[in-house]
Amino acid sequence: MISTEQLYQTLQKRFGFSHFRAGQLEALTALTAGQNTLAVLPTGAGKTLIYELYGAVTQQLVLIVSPLISLMQDQVTTLNVKGEKRAAALTSLMTYPEKNWVLQHLAAYRFLFVSPEMLSQDAVLSALQNVSLGLLVVDEAHCISTWGPDFRPEYLLLGQIRHQLNDPLTLMTTATATQHVKTDIKQKLQLPDATEVVLPIDRQNIFLDVAQFETQPDKDDRLVELVTTLKKPGVVYFSSKKKANETAELLALKTHCRVAAYHADLDAETRFKVQQQFMQDQLDVICATSAFGMGIDKNNVRFVIHYHVPSDLEAYWQEIGRAGRDGKQSIAILLYQPGDEQIAQFLSDATVPQENEIHYYFQQNEPQVAGDEKANLIWFYKQHHYRENQVQVLFERRREQRMVAFQKMMGYLRTPTCKRQYVQRYFDQAATLDELPKDCCSSDQPDIDLAALGLIAADDSAATGQSEDSASWQAILTQLFNGDSGADAV
Amino acid sequence: MDAAQLIIFLSPTAPRRLRVIENILVGKRTVSTLYWGMRYHQLSWLGYEKRLTRKVMDQTVLELKNKGLITVVKTDAQLTELGVAEQQRLFKQQYQPQHLNIRLVVDVETFWQRLLLATQVVSEQAYQNKHYYPLQVNWQVKQFIKRWFRQFYTTNLKGEFQAFWQTFLTQLPNDQALLMSRLLVGHQRPGETLMQVGHDFELTETEVKVMTTDLICQLAKMVSHTKIDSFRSLLTGLSRSLISTSAQQTLHSFMAGKSLEVISHQRQLKLSTVREHLLEAAIMLPPEQFDFQRILPAQLVTQMQARLAKTPLDQWQFTQVADLSVEFWQFRLLEILRSKQTDDKH
Repeated sequence: MISTEQLYQTLQKRFGFSHFRAGQLEALTALTAGQNTLAVLPTGAGKTLIYELYGAVTQQLVLIVSPLISLMQDQVTTLNVKGEKRAAALTSLMTYPEKNWVLQHLAAYRFLFVSPEMLSQDAVLSALQNVSLGLLVVDEAHCISTWGPDFRPEYLLLGQIRHQLNDPLTLMTTATATQHVKTDIKQKLQLPDATEVVLPIDRQNIFLDVAQFETQPDKDDRLVELVTTLKKPGVVYFSSKKKANETAELLALKTHCRVAAYHADLDAETRFKVQQQFMQDQLDVICATSAFGMGIDKNNVRFVIHYHVPSDLEAYWQEIGRAGRDGKQSIAILLYQPGDEQIAQFLSDATVPQENEIHYYFQQNEPQVAGDEKANLIWFYKQHHYRENQVQVLFERRREQRMVAFQKMMGYLRTPTCKRQYVQRYFDQAATLDELPKDCCSSDQPDIDLAALGLIAADDSAATGQSEDSASWQAILTQLFNGDSGADAV
Repeated sequence: MDAAQLIIFLSPTAPRRLRVIENILVGKRTVSTLYWGMRYHQLSWLGYEKRLTRKVMDQTVLELKNKGLITVVKTDAQLTELGVAEQQRLFKQQYQPQHLNIRLVVDVETFWQRLLLATQVVSEQAYQNKHYYPLQVNWQVKQFIKRWFRQFYTTNLKGEFQAFWQTFLTQLPNDQALLMSRLLVGHQRPGETLMQVGHDFELTETEVKVMTTDLICQLAKMVSHTKIDSFRSLLTGLSRSLISTSAQQTLHSFMAGKSLEVISHQRQLKLSTVREHLLEAAIMLPPEQFDFQRILPAQLVTQMQARLAKTPLDQWQFTQVADLSVEFWQFRLLEILRSKQTDDKH
């Protein structure tokens, strides 16, 4: 049995901290006592430290199931940067021999990241069955509930896979989960008795604002105005890549801010550069889709603006959680124009197969071509011996769930009462009135004075343009290689 | 792909097949695409824009048509007078790439990823910094650069890199040198994106991409000629063959004197596939590497030429010679030979 003292020692030695953040010690204590644990900790609370430290103390392999390749690569890089070299991500981007090499050298790793799809593969599963797993981590565990049926159904297999891995000790982590989602996660992983470590999801330093517009030009004007006046850096979220690109251009044209777009269509080099420029305060505003954010740890984001209505409050809360991690006053603004709900509805319909589509794809006897996601989705269920009527019922229920989730999101922007309390109720964390911050939300303070919140930029000269040292290529080389500016060509 | 780029690929004197231009950019290596790609002097663009969609292509064509710059008959397009003037203006004002054909023999995309990451690693080393966020590249490139660094970190990488970049950038016009240097990633320099430098240099996205690709091609050329090990090794494993591996095997047997039937039997390929392999080789390789005479006996060539002499090459029709004892693929081979003898610029 590992003592609390040992945990503190490792925290100090490996991570250089003398105190745990809220929730971390509770989760670690439960794990070291052999209890499967569901940790619901807000974004930025240090969820990864829990399994990093557990791996360091127990010296055993930690297997992390993670939803996104980019996120896995980020996590491996972050571990590498911290000095942990025994980390790898097993991804579909690797060739067969490369994957094989990693699988044959599992003992050389302390942290291994996989997607649920990868983990479902026989070769991967059997290699993992032959090593002793210290801990199984299901990261972003809400994906089991929110993504299960209509997107990446392999998440539904995780419960069964866990048994095949000889029921290892399991940590499920997520930033946002309603009672329903928590129950769903535990049920699907077949761990009904898992210990829950739940912290309040509220972020008191984020003012919650909703603004409504009659037309899109009005909305664009207000966005330009906000971006011009608000303290930066900030993030503007969009549901569409095209709109993110267009708005990045618009903002670059109409404000003095340094702006860039970020979404999944950009190549890896561009994504890296935009992300790093933002991290190093060389960008003021990012126009992003939901592809931006997971794994981004930047403390001083002052505003998160949503140009489109997200599909549910979970997504919304996760995204605005990127503001104000330093604890200073920040703001989340949702810009709404009647009709926006149709975009969200359309996106939702686009992913959940309709009755006739399910019927059509069930008649097909071939696995479908790559890219036809709905076809592949139905093929998954066929492969796993579901009958058509079962799948019909499943998706019907799914559509209803998503509809309800979206209506709750719409409820947030429409509610005339306190928005913070609305969110707290949604996540089953009702607070009493005296726990609400002084500056809370636009329902309580419809004419909020941004200046009074300290959120107005000193002046609109955020952009310094090209910095001094970028004026000539010679200066850039000198800076890159820490060299003498007078070096001669050879 | 944008309108300005498409204009460059079109001709004032003859209609060109839009599907060929599209297929070349996407990288489809069918004989017909390669043949017409050769005729349009577009082969160096093979696979330049693998993600180009029909939709973008159609929109671009429509834009040119609406501006009166081209006429379109079915799926062939030709420049109008206005279009010719615009093409000439673009040739004068826009950057025109000179080195793209190196793409056909070197995987320049991977080379650039390696060079960019190596430059970052060396830059951080120059500041003795081990804790930094490396460029996100694919697993193979990452492993390669790890091994590369293990092999060379004790040599004077900092000096070599600074000197290399200095030499390369010095021989460029100043604005190109500045643009290239701003793309680099290193210590406390996240590097700028193509869109950002394009914006500052008032280049369209398409232009800035063409310019940087061409610069990267020049870099690859320079690295292939360098004697410095740390640089030369960045090209390890990146050479590409002008023709597919399978076509190469076919060509090898053919040049060793085997008949097409024997090759077909031994390699278990259809005779038509063997012929396609040979046509691909004839198009892509320098003429001295292909034995045209074995397939085109002198007498047959004389006969065909008598019929075709007065017709410009691009208007040759197989029907003009169909009654001779000649097959279509031999006719196509004569077209290839003629193209290479007269105006091959590849």
